[in-house]
Amino acid sequence: MANTLPGASTNRRNFLGLVGLGAASLAGGGMLSGCSKEPGTSGSATNAEQAAGLVPTFKDSTLVQPDVKGVRPMADGYLKYPTSLADAVSEKAITSGKPVTASTPWWGPAPPTANKLVEAVSADMGGTIQFSIQDGNTYGDKLNTMLGARDVPELTCIPGWEVDKLARFSEGVHAIFEDLTPHLAGDKVSAYPLLAGLDSVAWQESVWGGKLMGVPFPVDAPFPSVLFYRKDVADERGIAAPTTLAELHEFGKKFTNADKGEWAFGDIWLEVQQICGAGGSENGWLKTADGKVVHRMELPEYKQAVEFMAKLYAEKLVHPDIASSKGGDVTTLFKGGKVFMYATGGGSWKETWRPAVQTNPTFNMQAVKVFGAEQGKAPVRWKARSAIIWTFIKKGLGQERTQELLRVLNYTAAPFGTKEWELQNYGAEGTHFKRDANGTPVTNDLWVKEFANQYIFLGGRPPVVVGGPDIPTYANDFVTWGNDATQYLEKNPWEGIKVETPSSQAALAKPTEDKITDVLRGRTPVSEFDKIVSDWRAAGGDAARDFYAKVLADNGR
Amino acid sequence: MSAPPVAAPQAQVEKAKKKAKPVSRQRLSFGQRLRRDWPLLLMCLPAMLLLLVFHYIPALGNIIAFQDYNPFVGDDPLEAFLYSEWIGFGNFEYLFKNAAFWDSVVNTLSITAFQLVFYFPIPIFLAMLLNSIMSPRIRSLVQSVVYLPHFFSWVLVVSLFQMMIGGAGLLAQTLRHAGYTPPDMMTNPETFMFLITSQALWKDAGWGMIVFLAALVAIDTSLYEAAAADGAGRWRRMWHITLPGLRSVIILLLILRLGDALNVGFEQFVLQREMVGREAAEVVDTYVYYQGIAVQQWGVGAAAGLFKAVVGILLIVGANKLAHRFGEQGIYSKS
Repeated sequence: MANTLPGASTNRRNFLGLVGLGAASLAGGGMLSGCSKEPGTSGSATNAEQAAGLVPTFKDSTLVQPDVKGVRPMADGYLKYPTSLADAVSEKAITSGKPVTASTPWWGPAPPTANKLVEAVSADMGGTIQFSIQDGNTYGDKLNTMLGARDVPELTCIPGWEVDKLARFSEGVHAIFEDLTPHLAGDKVSAYPLLAGLDSVAWQESVWGGKLMGVPFPVDAPFPSVLFYRKDVADERGIAAPTTLAELHEFGKKFTNADKGEWAFGDIWLEVQQICGAGGSENGWLKTADGKVVHRMELPEYKQAVEFMAKLYAEKLVHPDIASSKGGDVTTLFKGGKVFMYATGGGSWKETWRPAVQTNPTFNMQAVKVFGAEQGKAPVRWKARSAIIWTFIKKGLGQERTQELLRVLNYTAAPFGTKEWELQNYGAEGTHFKRDANGTPVTNDLWVKEFANQYIFLGGRPPVVVGGPDIPTYANDFVTWGNDATQYLEKNPWEGIKVETPSSQAALAKPTEDKITDVLRGRTPVSEFDKIVSDWRAAGGDAARDFYAKVLADNGR
Repeated sequence: MSAPPVAAPQAQVEKAKKKAKPVSRQRLSFGQRLRRDWPLLLMCLPAMLLLLVFHYIPALGNIIAFQDYNPFVGDDPLEAFLYSEWIGFGNFEYLFKNAAFWDSVVNTLSITAFQLVFYFPIPIFLAMLLNSIMSPRIRSLVQSVVYLPHFFSWVLVVSLFQMMIGGAGLLAQTLRHAGYTPPDMMTNPETFMFLITSQALWKDAGWGMIVFLAALVAIDTSLYEAAAADGAGRWRRMWHITLPGLRSVIILLLILRLGDALNVGFEQFVLQREMVGREAAEVVDTYVYYQGIAVQQWGVGAAAGLFKAVVGILLIVGANKLAHRFGEQGIYSKS
């Protein structure tokens, strides 16, 4: 390459010069910071007042009177299946005939694409929904790239806990998804009567930057976790459910028998924190009685929880498979009688109990009545958001298509006691279920194969707790437990405000969590705990406190 | 496109050669070479296309290492690249100031060094061992058995180890029944290095020997015969014929492995991180995942990737130079 252009800006020599300069500036850290800027977002929050004004006017869509009334925000329970079903949507939702594309999460084997359940709903809806069903455990990673590439289907279902992890979502949501305010705000929702039946707080939580951006999926039990145990085995062995921290420890010792491959506990860390009374529903943050904003890690109750949990691990009362991995398959161990108590979301109660009674009719999975660390000391229950999942409509599809998609979401919001609800939950009669003597649907194997909560997750529905003849006490058990637990629900001062943490603080969460895990598993002595907290404060914890305090101040709370 | 007969350009080449002969061996012009080599070039095209689409074009994305990349600015993903804020070396600064990043680099390099000693030679021995088996049937059976684990995913390998030597695994339960306390093999950070190396060995040693087996076949058998006739025993033949025959392949792979010093895999570590904690299991790739991808600091992730690539290139060039100094061919040489 002898003949370089005379005017070329970079010949070999000055290119090396440039590289040399780069190396020099790399070597001198101080010089480096002179010409560069730290990456990352500075965080954002939606104003609560602004959000309240956009909420669709609520119009109760409940058709059937509940058998067990839930103390709000706990949903109502139904023990009997209604004998006559209403036809909630008489006109076809899809009129263009164009298939709708949608993406939903599912925690189980993917259903087949040739799916009779989907066909049955399509026939009733007037058109097909082409589902892309994603593994719920890795959905966040998928969403990350889908949103980054702005390559989303017409309807995208995003769980709230994934939204929390998506940086700059408050920006992305406007770049990728349609603003639903002109279609749904206030009385405009009357065109979609079933969407008007969704909870107002959940709608309020669907506002980003002063715009109504998604359709919420209201939670049926406002608790991020529930402590489950094998009541059948406990009764058989004559051991009562614990009511204090000390009894919980006793429970652990009585049920652990390593020789028989039995360990008392799966992961119960989330519950131990709440039993000890460590609050912090807003991403770990809370406001104390004297008005200070603190993180739960700074509470003495949290330290007590850490010490207790470390003791459980040290005494080897937690199943080794669970101790060695976060995602260990605890439900299989629980169903198989290798683990007797664990904590998980309430939504999995039915999903775990149902298949287990098929093989073991005496299997009885119960939630432990909420208790505090000591007799007479109240626990704290973290409060989940009202909207736990959102469905968003892709931006720029045009007025007509957007309205058509909203009609689809109106259809999926059909309440309990309608033909549409039955079709979406149980499939077609004769194909997916038959009725027992009381008219209650009893599902078959085809249903198990084809059902993936597709239509349930898609858009909201008024939450209800419904069991079935196989688990007849379920609805009563859940609502009764929830009504009791509701009294301990923590008040979250940030409720209704959409807080997006600065990315540097989001990045701090994992290393801190790692260090806490090290303490729990006994790799770091408990005495190091205070240092972990002070390190966290110095590395950005205090900055995060200021951020959360400012959000409250800006909203006059 | 109608292909001209291959003979024609060759004839022309011959003609050109003849013409040029009296002067000296003149170089062919670009057009002549094109006419001569077009079928070869055509055959290269698909591979070049793959390289372009999956390596060169994505490499342009590295610019985000110098940006506070925001995928949501502008009207489409391409504009997001163009309009994200330029922050100079901010991402590198974030990375290099972070003690956890250096921890992960140290961990990665220690694992590489450990595996260089305890993993790298195993496939060579395995290949020599297998090569010495005479019965072709036994040989192909052993070969298939040791290849197979390569096709298992890490999830499967880790759960298999868990079931065998984990706290509630086969070994632990057998020991408990016999009245012993089982050792802590899956959750001990101190022995993590042995654990991952044995997993890697079980999974990939068989696969790794393929190249060496091929090199062994290439060794002239008459050398062995001659040496045997001269009275050389099995060990002498191995030392003086087999190993020298493998030397260039060994050095080639060693250099390539050095270039990959900062890559020790991702899944194996992400899966077992909870078991032993961050201090033992954080490698550069998991660090990038948790501090770059999971919190969407894309720029930081890209900066770490660039850092890895630069270190890799330096190591490869350095090792290659060293190989030349010792009279080896290395992976490439100046023509």
